[in-house]
Amino acid sequence: MEACQGIDATAIAQARTEALVLEYRTKLARYVRRMVGDGEVALDLTQEVFLSAYRMLQADPARELNAGWLYRAATNAGISFLRRRKILRMLPLDREIDGSTWRVDERSAASVDLQAALARLAPEQSAALLLTSYAGYSSAEAAAILGTTSDAVRQRVCRAMRVLRTVMKEVTE
Amino acid sequence: MTTGQSDCTLAERLAGAIAIGEARDDERVAYRAHLAGCPRCVHALGGEREIERIMSAVVRARDDERWEPERRARLATRRMRRNTWTLATALAAAVALAIGLPAEKPPLNAPPQRALSQHDAGAIAALNTQTVPRREGRAESLSVDAATTFSTAFDIAVDQRGTPRRCTITKSSGFRLVDRSVCRAAMHAHYSPPVQR
Repeated sequence: MEACQGIDATAIAQARTEALVLEYRTKLARYVRRMVGDGEVALDLTQEVFLSAYRMLQADPARELNAGWLYRAATNAGISFLRRRKILRMLPLDREIDGSTWRVDERSAASVDLQAALARLAPEQSAALLLTSYAGYSSAEAAAILGTTSDAVRQRVCRAMRVLRTVMKEVTE
Repeated sequence: MTTGQSDCTLAERLAGAIAIGEARDDERVAYRAHLAGCPRCVHALGGEREIERIMSAVVRARDDERWEPERRARLATRRMRRNTWTLATALAAAVALAIGLPAEKPPLNAPPQRALSQHDAGAIAALNTQTVPRREGRAESLSVDAATTFSTAFDIAVDQRGTPRRCTITKSSGFRLVDRSVCRAAMHAHYSPPVQR
């Protein structure tokens, strides 16, 4: 009996995870990629997010997992990656993480500016900016994802915009 | 008209709301009023139109986005589907590469200890190859066209997260270029992490 339930739960978890992967993988990976500035890292982190979603559904197949949950998990993964890397960069032993980290492969000028600007933002700022622009959330929704207030999100977006503005000026002038 | 620190904090929030595109009319009016009396914010934040222009550049970049997470996203699904029989040890997983062989036919007796299922291996797109794990163990072949066949054997060391760390050629095809391409392709794949026993 237990074994049967186990198989059932696994099958449901798989089906639900696959549906989530199908619907959100591109959006989520692009969002994370902008945040961390590296496609390979974004793929790794996104994959981790879907795996943890899967594990969660396996434990409780009826659990509600929506886009907000995925974005929250991806945002946390992205922020902790950026923080980790920041610490690593301060150490002299950072050879392994250097080099491939800030690749921008788009041709469009707007895109290059954006990535250069995002690289200068604090992780919380770029998360707020990307959630409201890239992912299209309102400040209240982004606040729920980031675990903060809607005012704080607005303020972070504004601070991020200030940096964007400076970078874009540098590029055009 | 003088403005204090808290007014400027409020202005930042209003500017953020304008950027997000959710500012109400009264908020826009309040923002304009603040700018009228605060040259510092005019300089630091810019007017409504400028804020919207910068934000629209971000949105345009999103709309122009062509990058696809195809390769690894597919693996994410596959790996989950198959995680009941993933890799037994952290080391030594052999993959087979074959160019030009039909990949549709699944291998008979697919051994469960292989790190890379046929579908996973199919995602090794780096060489634009079709991948068919041929036998369990290490033998595989790489045929460039119908007439030429190379055989290369290699070991892949996989870390806890399934990321390949090292590729060692255990039997050379005799062509260093082929060996290198095989390793490069193998290093581009993502593997099932080792199962803890």
